Amino acid sequence: MVVIFIRTFIIFITLVILIRLMGKRQIGEMQPFELIVTLIIADLACIPMADVSIPLIYGIVSILALFLLHQIFTLIEKSGDLAKKVLSGKPSIVINTFGVDMVELRSNNLGVDDLIESMRALGYFHLDQVDYAIFESNGKLSALPKKEPLECSSLPLLVINEGKIINRNLEFLKAEESKILEFTQQKCSIKDVEVLTVDGTGKAYFKQKQKKYEILQFPLNEGVKW
Amino acid sequence: MVKTIISIVVVSLILTAGIIFENNFTQNEFEEFHQTLEVLYEKVNDKTAVEDDAYAVQNCWLNKKKYLHSFIPHTEIKEFDLWIAESVKLIRDKKWEDALSKVEVLLELAEQVPKTFKLSLENIL
Repeated sequence: MVVIFIRTFIIFITLVILIRLMGKRQIGEMQPFELIVTLIIADLACIPMADVSIPLIYGIVSILALFLLHQIFTLIEKSGDLAKKVLSGKPSIVINTFGVDMVELRSNNLGVDDLIESMRALGYFHLDQVDYAIFESNGKLSALPKKEPLECSSLPLLVINEGKIINRNLEFLKAEESKILEFTQQKCSIKDVEVLTVDGTGKAYFKQKQKKYEILQFPLNEGVKW
Repeated sequence: MVKTIISIVVVSLILTAGIIFENNFTQNEFEEFHQTLEVLYEKVNDKTAVEDDAYAVQNCWLNKKKYLHSFIPHTEIKEFDLWIAESVKLIRDKKWEDALSKVEVLLELAEQVPKTFKLSLENIL
């Protein structure tokens, strides 16, 4: 029993560290250690049930050990801010009044495309529709919309993501790479562009490194609209 | 908070009690069985063992395995069953050399199996 307990303990701690290192991408609504308990407990319950050669007590002890660890972690988490930060992480403000914060996104192993996807799930299709967007420690995105809601009639496409042109979206724009380069060079080098999205009306969300985002007009080719 | 602390204390007590009981129970059971096997080993070595001696060891094991099933993987229990059955047959046929090697294996098993429950690095890793 003591061996099973220690083995469960080692696996649990390893998984907590790994899930914390993976960032918020891997979590959905649960705290990291809660997710791990859920992941392991299902298997632990199944193995002694399916394999009759394993004494049932092996499963029971492992599940009890996990429960104990969960309760201890809950207690530690409640004991202070530092413990909570270490175990569950802290909320990350990924959009602020300056625009998308790439440093925060990267520290959570997320990209602009992940952010856009999560925002769409909340009903915001443009990055400038919100003043603040926060990835909570449980992996959920919360957003504070602008006081005056923006009217949006077209879906924005991600054209530049961290200095790289997304070629597959250029097909929708019916634009050559050179046109994008020409557009960005009015402001800065392409390497310094963190985000560029363009919608069907030509409205562009442009964010360069260490500068506030700007809303620009992209010169769409004639007849291009979506 | 109080509920969490109570649950931690209760589960810790259950697990500690379980660990102590399991450790003592398996060690005692295998120690007793080992002693029974040693007696049989001596008799087989002296070529004085009779069929009833072998059956006595088998019955001793059958009684113990009823409860050991709760703590030991059933495959290991089966291993004991097979080696004992073979020893009984060989003692009945008075094949002392072969019987002796079977009882030796049983002695080794009775010594090694409880060790797998002890707190050691090799068991954990």
